[in-house]
Amino acid sequence: MIKTIAKPTERKITGCGECRSTCQSACKTSCTVGNQSCERVTREQKIERK
Amino acid sequence: MIHIFTYHDNYYVYDTGSGALHECDEKTARYLGGEAVEMTDGELAEIAGLKSAGLLDKEEVNAFPMKPEEAKALCLHVSHDCNLRCRYCFADEGAYHSVREVMSLDTAKAAIDFLLRNSGTRKVLEIDFFGGEPLMNLGVVKAAVAYAKEEGAKLGKRFLFTTTTNGLLLDDETIEFFNNEMENVVLSLDGREEVHDAVRKTVNGKGSFALVIDKVKKFVRSRGDKHYYVRGTFTAKNLDFADDVLFLADQGFDSISMEPVVTDLPDLRIEEEHLAAIEKEYERLADEYIKREEEGRGFNFFHFNIDLEGGPCLQKRVSACGAGNEYFSVVPNGDIYPCHQFAGDPAWKMGNVFEGTIDAALRAKFANSCLFTRKKCKDCFAKFICSGGCSANNYHYNGDIEEPYAITCAMMKKRIECAMHILARRKARE
Repeated sequence: MIKTIAKPTERKITGCGECRSTCQSACKTSCTVGNQSCERVTREQKIERK
Repeated sequence: MIHIFTYHDNYYVYDTGSGALHECDEKTARYLGGEAVEMTDGELAEIAGLKSAGLLDKEEVNAFPMKPEEAKALCLHVSHDCNLRCRYCFADEGAYHSVREVMSLDTAKAAIDFLLRNSGTRKVLEIDFFGGEPLMNLGVVKAAVAYAKEEGAKLGKRFLFTTTTNGLLLDDETIEFFNNEMENVVLSLDGREEVHDAVRKTVNGKGSFALVIDKVKKFVRSRGDKHYYVRGTFTAKNLDFADDVLFLADQGFDSISMEPVVTDLPDLRIEEEHLAAIEKEYERLADEYIKREEEGRGFNFFHFNIDLEGGPCLQKRVSACGAGNEYFSVVPNGDIYPCHQFAGDPAWKMGNVFEGTIDAALRAKFANSCLFTRKKCKDCFAKFICSGGCSANNYHYNGDIEEPYAITCAMMKKRIECAMHILARRKARE
């Protein structure tokens, strides 16, 4: 048995630079990109939900 | 590449090429791990289906990203002085191995002009007010915010502001200012009183916990739905740091970060011999994290956030924080460094905001540094999540921004596995 828990959303635009600088987001010693969400995808999902 | 790992009785498969996470049974995990296991036709069809959908064994991207030379963010060191004397401070207790001084408004304005001038087509810019303790120079912080907003508006650009503070000077007026202007506020608090006070001392050598806790609580209560992080540091002295995270959660803080110390102090620094205990501690924290979520009293722990569905795009994943190319630190005299962790080191000075130029060779070094130039990351499952680690940490521990520090890598990998397990359990509840 194998089942998918999560897979990336397909997106049309990459590298738009809207996202916040990683280290500044939460801490000053670990630059952890994976802890972020894409701000553009998040914004577009919010609009869709509305 | 696939990464197979277990967490308690759960088996997970993370596909680095696609970024997909799967859960499977032990037999499938052993088969995918290369063991000679007898599989049924149905089981093999499931695996083949995932492969044909590009969710398993997908080829990884290995191209270099395009990196425009557009500045995006500044760390503004408005105060190279601090009202605390924390032993582990990478910034030399605020002084950055130089004189204690604060930034003038002229320098802050020149730094903002520098950012605007170098920001190209970017519409959203960031300024992080940092120190030392930035509230020791609150007047300049306020004036700099007003100036940035005014000048940005003329160019159709918007600023997001962040302040990192120890909370000692938080008062009602500052709280109101923060809530009006700061997109994010990072408040330093290490957890249990005895843990906090062992390192975070006042100028007179006394513990600071009692001086800040009520102020931080009051600020967080006033914050509404705006971002903040209560951010702690753990050291070799509190390898039971899960108790500190949970203590902070029990104080009512629901947005918490706890970082391993960056120091050379022999009694505080994290050594390889501590790793087993730290990994167990992350598991203990993850178990309690899940339990609290299930009980409806969950909180947000920074390192357990992982967005495998709407996470950062590939360009962001391979270029990481952008230090030295998109992101710069400016110290009180206007000197520019790749980031706050390089500040004060003459070898990494990139220019000065009053001269308005950037050392092209140094900038190129950072612009060309990315996940694919960090050779040790090639075979690591975590590479598209951690992006090759922190350049400054790599340099400080290994003498090379391209050389990831093994101890940091081990902790990162464990946190990612915990985050994936938490995500899977959350999905199972939905």
